[in-house]
Amino acid sequence: MISRVADYCFWFGRYLERAESTARVLTVTRALALDGNLTPEQCWLPVLITSGNEPVYLEKYGKEAVEDERVQEFSTWEETNLSSIRRSIAGARENARSIRELISLEVWVNINELHNWMRHSGARTEYNHHRYDFYRRVRESIQLILGLLRGTMLHDTPLDFIWFGLLLERSNQTARILDVQHHMTNMLVSTHQVLDTSLWLSLLRACSGFEPFMKRSRGRVSGDAVAAFLILEPHFPRSVTYCVHSALDSLSKIRPPAAHELPGGRALERLHVLDSWLKAQTPQGLAAPGAVHEVLTHVVDETQQICGDVAQELFGYS
Amino acid sequence: VSLFQQYRPLRDTYDELFTGEARPRPEFEHTVEVLGASTSAECAFNQGLAEKALFNQGVTFSVYSDNRGSEKIFPYCVLPRVISAKDWDHLDRGLHQRVRALGMFLDDIYGDQRILKEKRIPADLVLGAKNYLPLLNGVKPPGGVRIHVAGIDLIRDPQGTFRVLEDNLRTPSGVSYVLENRLITKRVLPRVLDRARVQPIDHYPTRLAEALASVSPADPASSSVVVLTPGSYNSAYFEHSYLARQMGIELVEAPDLFVDGDEVFVRTTRGPRRVHVIYRRTDETFLDPEVFRPDSLLGVRGIMKSYAAGKVALCNAPGNGVADDKAIYPFVPEMIRFYLSSEPILEQVETFLCMRDDHRRYVLEHLGDLVVKAVDEAGGYGMLMGPQSTAAERDDFKKKILAEPRRYIAQGRVELSTTPTWIGDKEVVEPRRIDLRPYIVTSRQGSWVMPGGLTRVALVEGSYVVNSSQGGGSKDTWVQKARS
Repeated sequence: MISRVADYCFWFGRYLERAESTARVLTVTRALALDGNLTPEQCWLPVLITSGNEPVYLEKYGKEAVEDERVQEFSTWEETNLSSIRRSIAGARENARSIRELISLEVWVNINELHNWMRHSGARTEYNHHRYDFYRRVRESIQLILGLLRGTMLHDTPLDFIWFGLLLERSNQTARILDVQHHMTNMLVSTHQVLDTSLWLSLLRACSGFEPFMKRSRGRVSGDAVAAFLILEPHFPRSVTYCVHSALDSLSKIRPPAAHELPGGRALERLHVLDSWLKAQTPQGLAAPGAVHEVLTHVVDETQQICGDVAQELFGYS
Repeated sequence: VSLFQQYRPLRDTYDELFTGEARPRPEFEHTVEVLGASTSAECAFNQGLAEKALFNQGVTFSVYSDNRGSEKIFPYCVLPRVISAKDWDHLDRGLHQRVRALGMFLDDIYGDQRILKEKRIPADLVLGAKNYLPLLNGVKPPGGVRIHVAGIDLIRDPQGTFRVLEDNLRTPSGVSYVLENRLITKRVLPRVLDRARVQPIDHYPTRLAEALASVSPADPASSSVVVLTPGSYNSAYFEHSYLARQMGIELVEAPDLFVDGDEVFVRTTRGPRRVHVIYRRTDETFLDPEVFRPDSLLGVRGIMKSYAAGKVALCNAPGNGVADDKAIYPFVPEMIRFYLSSEPILEQVETFLCMRDDHRRYVLEHLGDLVVKAVDEAGGYGMLMGPQSTAAERDDFKKKILAEPRRYIAQGRVELSTTPTWIGDKEVVEPRRIDLRPYIVTSRQGSWVMPGGLTRVALVEGSYVVNSSQGGGSKDTWVQKARS
C-alpha cells in the first residue's frame, strides 16, 4: 500500500473517532450538569482538559467563561479548535476524499452527507433547537460509517490502517477522559463535598460503558471499580486494554511480526510491549494512590511514541 | 400532455430532436414519446433528485478562481442528448480514422518526419509548435501506442453535419461525468432509459484498464498500473480518483514515485514496488523537473529517462501536444490522406492561420465575424467571440495577433445545435446549445470508441460557451442501439 495513502487512512480513522468521542463527552456533560450540585466550572473544565484545549480556551475567554454554552460552542463549532466536532468531521472528510478510490461508495456518501450537513444551516438549526438530537445525529452518523467500513470494504491493509488509527485514538480518548475525571472526582472528595455516584456513572456513559459496567459489577459503583473496568476489561470495546490489544492485532496484519525484512518493526515492538504491560496490571494495583494516573500517562505517552514510529517507518515521514 | 408541447426550436439552428416545424425527427419519435410522457412537475422532481444525488456523492470539480479550492457540482440536465444509430455509425468510423491518422502523424514527427519532407504540412509550423518535444525524437513508446485516450470535440452545424472542432490528445478529461451521468439517469429515469434502447457505456473503465495493461513493458498480467494525479486540489481530482476506483488500481501523487536505475518505483508500506504503466493526469511539463522545469517541485526526477529506456509506459505519451495544436488542426484531413490514402470521413470547421499573410489579413478585416483562439489554451480561455465582442476587445486581439501570429487561429462562428433542456427556474423545456466529446481508447490491439461521450450544454439562454468553468453543464448522451 502507498505510504501517503496509508497515512490518510490512519487519520481518517482517528478523525472519525475523535468527532464521535467529543459528541459523546458533550452529551454526557450536559446531562451531568442538569443533576446539579456542581459548578459550571466543575462540569465543563474537564471537557476542555480532556481535549487538550484548556490553555487555548482560557487565554481566549478567561476562567470565568467556563460555562456550558460557550464550551459547547467551542468544542462543537470553533474553527481554530483543531479537535472541534466541525474540524474533526472536515478532517475525516478531507482524508476520505484523498482515499476516495479505496473506501466504498456507501462510506463516502455518508461522510460526505455528514460534512455537508455540518456546513449548512440544517446542523446549526438542529444544534440551536434540539441539542440532544444534534449530538445524537453526529454520533450515529459516525457509527453508521464505522459499520459500513466493516460491512462494505475489503478487509485488507487500507481497512487495517483505518482501524489502527481509530483504535489508537479511542484508547487515547478513554485514557484522557478517565484521567481527567478521576483527578477531578478525587479533588471533590478531598474537599469533603458530597460525592454522587452520578459522577462515575456519567464517566461510564461518556465511554458508552454504563450498561457493560453494570453487567460486570452487578450494580456496585465505586471509583476504583470504574477505573479498573475502563482500563482493564478485556471484552469492553472501549477499554484501554481492549483498544491497545486490537490495535496490536491491526498492526500485526499490516506488518506481520515474522516479516523482519519489512519496515514497521519498531512500532510493532513498542505496541507489543505496551500490550503485555497492560495485561500485567491488576485492579488491586490500580487502587494504590496515584496508580491510575501513572498508568494512563504511560499509555498516552507510549501511543504518542508509536504514532511517531509508524509515521517514520510506514508513512515515510523524515 | 407532452412535456415538449410548448417546445419550439430556434430558427436557423439544428435541433437534435425536433424539426423546424417542432415535430419529432422520425428516428426519435419513440424516444420523444417516452421522454415527453412525464409532466413538468415530475421533471422538476427528477432534476432535484439528480442534483441531490450528485452533491451527496461529491461528484464535484474544484474551482480555481476560488483559492480555497472549493468544490462545485457539475450542473446536470435530466433530459438526455440522443444520437441515432445511423449517425453514431458514421461518427464511430470517422473517429477511428482520425485517431489512427493522428497517431501515425506523431510516430512520423518523432521519427522520420516523412510528412514534412514531402511538404504536405509546413515544417516550420510543426517544429515551431510549443508542445513539440525534440528530445523525444527517436523514442518509441512501450507498446507502440501514443494516444491511449483521445477526446475529440464535435459540434453540429445548421444542416445537421457533425464537424470536429478540436482534438484533445494529452489528458482529455470529463469521462467520469459521462459515467456518473448514466448512473444518475438509471436512478431517476429507469423506465425511460430501458424503453429508449440505449447502448451501455459502463464497460469504459474495463476497456481503459485493458488498454493500459496492454502497453506494459512487462507481462500485462503481472504489471503494476497506477493513475498519477496532481492531487486533491486539482480541478479534475474527482475524475482521477473515480477512474482509479473503477479500474481497481492505485492513485498516486508524484512524491509517491521515484526512479532508481531507470526503473520507476512507488513508496509503499512494505517498501518500494516497481511500476510499469502510469496513466498520468498531470500536465507533461510537470512530469520531470530534470527535463522540463528545473524550478518545479512537482514531478518525478528521472521519469523521462526511464520512459526513453522503455522501462515505463506513460499514458498518454509525452509530446502529443504537437498533434492537437490548434494551428495543426487544419492539416488533419491532409494527414488522413497522406497516411491512410483515404478521404476524411468527418468534416471540420474552416480555420484561418494568423501566421499566414493572406489568412491574417482576412482575419484582421473580419474580427467581428470570427472566433479567435490561442492555439495553446483550452477551457474557453484566451478566446475572442467576434460577434459578441466590443471594439476595445477586438483592438486588443488585433495587437496580440500582430505580436504573435503563430499563436492565433480564427474560425467562422458555427451555430451549435440545440437540444431540449430543462430550465429549472422557469420549470419549462427550452432549446440550449450543445457540443459532444466522444472518448477513444487505444490499446496495443486497436481502438475502441465509447458509444456516446460527454455532451456539454450552454445553460445560459443564447450562450455558446459550454465550458464548466463558464456556466456550462452536462447531459447524459444516449446512443440508440442499431435495429437488429
